[in-house]
Amino acid sequence: MKIVVTGLGLVSALGIGIEENIALIREEKTGIKTLPKILKTSNKLPVGELCVSNEDLHSVANINSKKHFSRTALLGILAVREAILDANLDMTKRVGLVSSTSVGGMDLSEHFFEKFIENDTSGRLRDVRMHDCAASTEAIARYCNINGYTTTISTACSSAANAIIQGAKLLKHNIVDAVIVGGSDALSAFTLNGFNSLMILDEKLCRPFDAGRSGLNLGEGAGYLVLQREKDVDTYYCQLAGWANRNDAHHQTTSSTDGDGAYLAMKEALNKAKLSPAQVNYINAHGTGTGNNDAAESAAFIRLFGKKLPPFSSTKAFTGHTLAAAGGIEAVFSVLAIKNGYLYPNLGFTTPIEDYGLKPITKFKDGVEVDCVLSNSFGFGGNCSSIVFIR
Amino acid sequence: MKCFIDKVITHKDVTTDIKVLIPDAGLRRRMSSLIKNAVSTAVECLGGVDKIADLDAIITATGWGFLTDSERFLRNMIVNKEELLNPTPFIQSTFNTVGGQISLLKNNHCYNMTYVHRSHSFEDALLDAMMRIADSESKNVLVGAFDEATPSQQRIMERMGLFRHHNNGEGTVFAHLKSEKSENTIAELIKIEFLSESLTQKECLLKYVYSESSVLLWNKYKNYGLFPTATAFTFTDAVNLVKEGVKEVVVYNEYFGAKPTVIIVQNLL
Amino acid sequence: MEQLIKELKEHLIEELNLEDITPEDIDAEAPLFGEGLGLDSIDALEIILILEKFYGVKLSNSAEAKPIFYSVKTLAEYIMQNRKQ
Repeated sequence: MKIVVTGLGLVSALGIGIEENIALIREEKTGIKTLPKILKTSNKLPVGELCVSNEDLHSVANINSKKHFSRTALLGILAVREAILDANLDMTKRVGLVSSTSVGGMDLSEHFFEKFIENDTSGRLRDVRMHDCAASTEAIARYCNINGYTTTISTACSSAANAIIQGAKLLKHNIVDAVIVGGSDALSAFTLNGFNSLMILDEKLCRPFDAGRSGLNLGEGAGYLVLQREKDVDTYYCQLAGWANRNDAHHQTTSSTDGDGAYLAMKEALNKAKLSPAQVNYINAHGTGTGNNDAAESAAFIRLFGKKLPPFSSTKAFTGHTLAAAGGIEAVFSVLAIKNGYLYPNLGFTTPIEDYGLKPITKFKDGVEVDCVLSNSFGFGGNCSSIVFIR
Repeated sequence: MKCFIDKVITHKDVTTDIKVLIPDAGLRRRMSSLIKNAVSTAVECLGGVDKIADLDAIITATGWGFLTDSERFLRNMIVNKEELLNPTPFIQSTFNTVGGQISLLKNNHCYNMTYVHRSHSFEDALLDAMMRIADSESKNVLVGAFDEATPSQQRIMERMGLFRHHNNGEGTVFAHLKSEKSENTIAELIKIEFLSESLTQKECLLKYVYSESSVLLWNKYKNYGLFPTATAFTFTDAVNLVKEGVKEVVVYNEYFGAKPTVIIVQNLL
Repeated sequence: MEQLIKELKEHLIEELNLEDITPEDIDAEAPLFGEGLGLDSIDALEIILILEKFYGVKLSNSAEAKPIFYSVKTLAEYIMQNRKQ
C-alpha cells in the first residue's frame, strides 16, 4: 500500500502559513529573534518566536479569545487548518489526527503556578485547563472538525516524526481513511529555562554543523501533513516511503559518540523504503547546533553514507529548535523539497567540524531534481526517528 | 489483529528489591518515585532486568506525565527568578523518560514510543503494539501506563470540583505482550476499538458480548481513582479474570466523558 | 581546607542524591567522573550550580572545567582560589 502526502500546514517564527515561511527562506532570512518579545522571561537569549500575540492568534484562528487557549493549541489549529484546506480533504471520511507536543499548555500553567505556589486558592483555573498534552490535540480536533481516531505522542524532539510513523500505520490498518500528523509546541519559560540549565543554548544565532557552534536556539511552531492512501486520491505531493524509530540507549540527554540511534533509524527507514543511501538526494538533518548532536549526527552520516554524503542541511537556524513540532515542520520542508526542487541553506555555517569535515548546503536553491529526502529528528531519552519521502 | 499476553502486573505486585530491579545506581538516584515505580514494575513484569535485552518494542503511556519533577523545576524557576536552576528535574519531566530509562538499563536500541492522550493513552499504546506485531515488526513488546498524584494536582482537581463523586488515584501497570503463544501465555488480546460515540450498557452487551459466560467490566476504572491511566487497571482485572478461568472479558472504558474504548481479552482455546 | 572538603562532600551527596554514601566513603583525591564516583555530564552541571550557589564561584569557561572537576580536592582548591571573601 502506498501512502502519500496530500496536504501541508506550517507555522513557525518565519510566519503563519507555507507562503510566508518559504518567502523568507528564499531570502535566507532567519526567523530567530535576538530576544523574546512575547514570552515573559528574564532570559536574554535568541528565540525562534512568532511575533504574534496570543490574542492575535485567537483572532487569526477565528476563536473567541475568551476561550483562552494555550499557544500550543493555537499554533496547531492554524497549521492543521492549512493542511486540511491544502488537501481539499473530505471531512466526512474517517479522518484521524496524530498530534504531538512537549510543552502542551505549560505556556499558561506556568502563569497559574506563579500565583498557586503563594496561595493554593489563587491562580486562575482556566490557565491549567489545557496543561496536559492531549488538551491541545483535542482542541485541534474540535476546531478542525476531525472526528476520527485521535491521539498524542510525546517523545521530546522526535515527537512529530513519530506522529508521522503512527499515522502511516493507522492508514495501513484501515483505522482511518486520512490522517493528519505532526506536532505543535509554543515557547514557554519552563522549556527555555530547562534548556538553559543544561547549558546547551547559544547566546547568539545557532550555527548547526559549524566547528564553532555553541548550542541551540529554541523555537516555536507547528507542522502537519495530511497522509492518505494513494489509491484514494488523484493528486499528491509525494510518497511517504520509509520510516523508523530506534533508541540510542546511551544517556538521558546526550547522544552516543558514534550516533548509534541516528544510524540505526536512518538505515532502517531507508530499508523500509527499499532504497540505498546512494538514492537520497537531500537530508534535512536534526542539526540543532549543539556540540553533541551535530557531532553524533555527523558520525552517523559518515557511517551510513561513507564518502557519498548527499546534500544536507539543518533548517533550525531559520526556525529555531521547535522541539515536538520539529519533525512536522521539517517534514513539510522535506515534501516541498521534492515538489518544488528546494534545497535549503544551513544558515550560520562557515567552518566544518574538524573530526568529520562535512559541509552542508549554504545557499537556497530552487528547481533542483530532488526525488528522495531523508528527514531526521532526535530527542531526549535517546529517541531517534527518520522519515523518507520519495517522488 | 491480536496478540498474546504473557504477564500483566501493577506496582502493587512488585516484590523484588529495587536495587535488583534497577541495578544502575546512577540512573536510580535521579528517579522520582513515579519513575522508580514505573521502571521497577516494568522490570518485575519482564522477570528481571536482563529480559529487557530481548524486547523489540517499548511503548509507554501516561496522562499527566511526571508531575513531581515538572513542579519541582517550575517551582525553582519561579522562586529563584530563573537563575541557578538544577537541570535534573527538567530532564526527568520529559514524557518519554520511563521508556528511555528502560532502554538504558540494557542498552536496547529497539522501537520506543510514548502516548500522552488522557484516558486512552494505554489503549493507544496497546494499539501500537498490536499493529507492530501484525506487521511482523515486533515479537516481544513491553507496554506500560503510569500516572502520579501530587498535592498540587489534588488541590487543583479539588478546585475544579472533580472529586465530588470520585477519589484521587495513581498507579502503574505493565504488560508483556508477544506475537506467539508460549507456555507462559495467560490470555489473548483480540480486540481494541476506539468508539466515536458512547454506548449504553445494553448496546455494549449486544455489540461486543456474545456469550453468556463472558464478563463485561463497565467503567470499572472508577474503582481505582480519577487518574487517566486507571483504565490500565481494568485491563489487569480482565486478564486476571481470564487467568482464573473466565472465557472472555470485555472492558468498556468511558472515562469521564472522553470517547469510549473497548478491549476484549480471551482465554486460550 | 579540611572543613571545605567535608562540606563539599556533603553537598555532592545531597545535590546529586548519592545513595548509601557518607562523606567518609568519598576519597577526596579519587576521580569524580568516569571511574571513582562515576558521575556524568548532568552531574557536572549540578556541580557548577553547587560552586555558584554555595560558594559564589562562577565557572567562566566550561572548557576549563575538566581539571577543576577531577576530584573533590581539585574542586576545593578551585573554590579556595576563587571564592569571594
